[in-house]
Amino acid sequence: MRDRGWSERPSSDVVRRHRPDYMIALYMGILMLVGLVVIYAIGPQRANVLNNAIGSNYSDSYFFVKQTISLVLAIIAFGAISIIPYKFIIKHAPKVLIIGLVACALLFIASKAGLPIADATNGASRWFNLGALGSLQPAEIVKFGLLLYLAVFLGARSKEGKVNNAKATLIPVAIITGLSLLFIVVIQKDLGTGIALSAIVITMLFMAGMNKKIGIGLAVAVLVVGAIFIFTAPHRVERIVTYLQGDSTSSATSTADSYHIEHAKIAIGSGGFTGVGIGNSVQATGYLPEVINDSVFAVLGETFGFIGLITLMAVFVALLLRMLKVLDHLVDIRLKLLVAGVFGWFGAHVILNIAAMLGIVPLTGITLPLISFGGTSMIFITAALGLVFQLSRYTVHASRLSTSGESTHEDSRSGRRIGRTRYASRRSS
Amino acid sequence: MKLELLKGSRTRILAAVILAIVAIFVVRLFYLQVIKHDYYVGLAKAEQESRFVIPASRGEIYAKNGTDPVPMVMNETVYTVFADPVTVDDKAKVVDTLRQVAGGNVRTDFDKLLDNKNSRYQVLANKLTRVQADKIKAVNLHGIGFQAVSQRVYPEGALGAQILGFVDTTGQGQYGLEGYENGVLKGVDGYLQAVTDVSNVPLTIGNDNISVPKQDGKNIVLSVDRNVQSHVESALAAGLQKNGAKKGSVLVMDPTNGKVLAMANLPTYDPGNYGQVADVAAFNNDTVSAPYEPGSDVKTYTLATGIDKGVVKASDTYNNTDHIKIGDITVSNATLGHTGNITFQTALTWSLNTGFVTIAERLGDGTNITKSARDVMYDYFHNRLGLGSLTGIELANEAPGTVIAPDDPSGDGNAVRYSNMAFGQGLDATLIQVASGFSALVNGGNYYKPTVVDGYMTDSGYKQNPTPAPLRANVVAKSTSDQVKQATHDARATSFGKTDKAGYYIGGKTGTSQVIINGQYSSTETVGTYLGYGGGSEDAPRYVIMVQVSGADQLLGGAQDALPIFTDISNWMLDYLKIQPKG
Repeated sequence: MRDRGWSERPSSDVVRRHRPDYMIALYMGILMLVGLVVIYAIGPQRANVLNNAIGSNYSDSYFFVKQTISLVLAIIAFGAISIIPYKFIIKHAPKVLIIGLVACALLFIASKAGLPIADATNGASRWFNLGALGSLQPAEIVKFGLLLYLAVFLGARSKEGKVNNAKATLIPVAIITGLSLLFIVVIQKDLGTGIALSAIVITMLFMAGMNKKIGIGLAVAVLVVGAIFIFTAPHRVERIVTYLQGDSTSSATSTADSYHIEHAKIAIGSGGFTGVGIGNSVQATGYLPEVINDSVFAVLGETFGFIGLITLMAVFVALLLRMLKVLDHLVDIRLKLLVAGVFGWFGAHVILNIAAMLGIVPLTGITLPLISFGGTSMIFITAALGLVFQLSRYTVHASRLSTSGESTHEDSRSGRRIGRTRYASRRSS
Repeated sequence: MKLELLKGSRTRILAAVILAIVAIFVVRLFYLQVIKHDYYVGLAKAEQESRFVIPASRGEIYAKNGTDPVPMVMNETVYTVFADPVTVDDKAKVVDTLRQVAGGNVRTDFDKLLDNKNSRYQVLANKLTRVQADKIKAVNLHGIGFQAVSQRVYPEGALGAQILGFVDTTGQGQYGLEGYENGVLKGVDGYLQAVTDVSNVPLTIGNDNISVPKQDGKNIVLSVDRNVQSHVESALAAGLQKNGAKKGSVLVMDPTNGKVLAMANLPTYDPGNYGQVADVAAFNNDTVSAPYEPGSDVKTYTLATGIDKGVVKASDTYNNTDHIKIGDITVSNATLGHTGNITFQTALTWSLNTGFVTIAERLGDGTNITKSARDVMYDYFHNRLGLGSLTGIELANEAPGTVIAPDDPSGDGNAVRYSNMAFGQGLDATLIQVASGFSALVNGGNYYKPTVVDGYMTDSGYKQNPTPAPLRANVVAKSTSDQVKQATHDARATSFGKTDKAGYYIGGKTGTSQVIINGQYSSTETVGTYLGYGGGSEDAPRYVIMVQVSGADQLLGGAQDALPIFTDISNWMLDYLKIQPKG
């Protein structure tokens, strides 16, 4: 390739490491802080409600302290993943997925054996109970592992131009996804995580260049499989029924889920334009279920009102669009797919959680990322964001990505050689 | 934010999808939070706001110990211990603690109640003292709660039970002062309207909380003197022991102001255990709620009426033939033999009915009890001295009794009835009425409304009611009062004076009333009464005592059965009140 100039060298060879997109860290930090403030405000009430209801003995600061610890761990995870070279991470992608699946299998065995390490909730074990160390949800490892693995796998297929090839790509993806969903949705009965995982896979397939025909086929398949999942589990049927009944609050049809949605709407609606203010949430004193987890958006609505929620959603959207920007400006298809997966993961959580709270879609038990109380999911989502943050160092200028080769950007016609940083004499940080 | 997304890139589709969805969210949020805001505020308020009653504490009741108030009825907070079996985590500890601290108060099998995990409220023990409750609280058991309950306690036990009444399980006063002054004692509950959490605990969130403070009930101080009451109750019990009467009532009052010093009935009950009383008749205070034919005691009224109208003096004479004919009936004397020209004093002393029918006749034209005579008698008996009408004493279930007016449309207010009324038959009155009227006859002629309430205990101490003014002044002239005093003193002195302490001025009148059973005067049952006063001199009677003994199928006489109880109490009162003998 020496006979060609800089501008004609394959772009992937010349991408240089530059400053990351700090806005990603900024938006993430804002959201984390909002979450911490809310947990600080309603944690004591949550502790009080639980103490009354199940006789636990949580102190007022229990949830705040735990959330703070989770945030510290999450920031460490973010930092670690943003520093560990992505090449190293990608190299070990299959291992992460295998660890996750093995952990799920172990959890299943442990719960069947009745070991105390398998925490049982709702007739399904989702967590390893690690005692003083807290708990670990192997489904999150699977999610992260699948994200990494599919990026490598689909990246390779994409380079070969075989993304739409059933045998080479679609069937292996279906198998690996199906196996993951088997553990998460069927065995662990965790539909929320299953949907997030599906969103990761679908977004990655979409970005890998899946064609329309397969896309439609996939959509049909998702609907069919989704319907099977729903009608094989009574609590999911209940959620659908609740959803279809809409605003009905009559006691005859008042199930736990319709109560949940109704109170989410009461919380949001009573917040009004400006909200009732921090510490004045009444719905958080026990009326609204899952108040620090799935319902935190509703409490935010009560506390900060329409203005607050709009602002909050703006930050979420900004973060998602930043991810798209990074995605679009990456050169390596594997890296693009990684970001696409994180986007799908994060976006699915945000949209499904908010939509459920607004009564637009049925409840799925999915959390609002970075804000809801929770350790494992928080750590893994920030780790994923850490990966995007690292990859944002490797974006290139839009003109370099122009497939037509005719960039309209003025810089492309300047004398400065593209592919270097604008201030080549300086070291990028 | 400049995204610089590439043309034709699928990221543009993703961005569009995200923005479209968020746009839907914004519209939906605007609908929920701005358009439907009031609707959801209404829903929120409906489920969040609760009204909490702040119970007013019931007023206490005091009696007098001389001049100082002493408690008769107080409130005590006792605790009910309950469990939420779902949140009880250490059952063994709960059971042990309760057994140790409140062994006597636990429900039987309370340990089994803890196993009922379907329930979230199980009462484990009742009526724990504060000390016991605090001990259990100190152990810090999970799932155990306490409920404070106020109950009445009676430091003096059953003393004055029928004056006091009791408070039923719904917090309503029943019988006696508790019943009559229920509203005053109860006070007014306050309330708090507040936003609450899901377990109904009020929160200080928002500005809509309303707090109305409670008004505690007033603490009433009785005019009843616990020492007099105590002596009266034991004297009555001893008297009934002696004469075998089934029932007895005693009333002691201060004739100069209408204040009741003691009021006792047997059989009685223990207000602390009112639920275990077999015969609810024991709750009744017969002195105010059981009218009877007062009999010869009323002869003092007839004499007073005659004297006040100037038609007779005690020393005037009439011809006693032991029988007197009124219309188609003949009235006879119970004691025969004092025939001939005798004074009305003699008629009073020996309780000769003919003398008082004669006075009634002299109120008329001398031989007939005319309408004007009957009007006069009705005016004195009913209007002035209060027979047959409610006195308004502060005790529940007061009965008015009956005095039939001369112009009663039934025509029963005729001469025959009024001839009977002249010696105490043909009218119904209660002890409190007879004693109150008699008080006016001996105090110089002023009728005071009888009362058991002497004042109130306030935060700053005892506040006595102002000295009562007569309800009706000069119902008889002072000279009349003096003569009645003299006549009753002489009546007592003639036969029973030696039982009184020397140097005091005591007077009284016996009464032996026939009882109407099935419309006929029974020959097998009479009620014995004694009505009298006492003091240091004729100018200053200090007490009026009325005694009544009765019983189904018992022939009880005023002189034999009621009078000894009067004498006992009267002599004790002279000591207790430290009355100086004259001369």
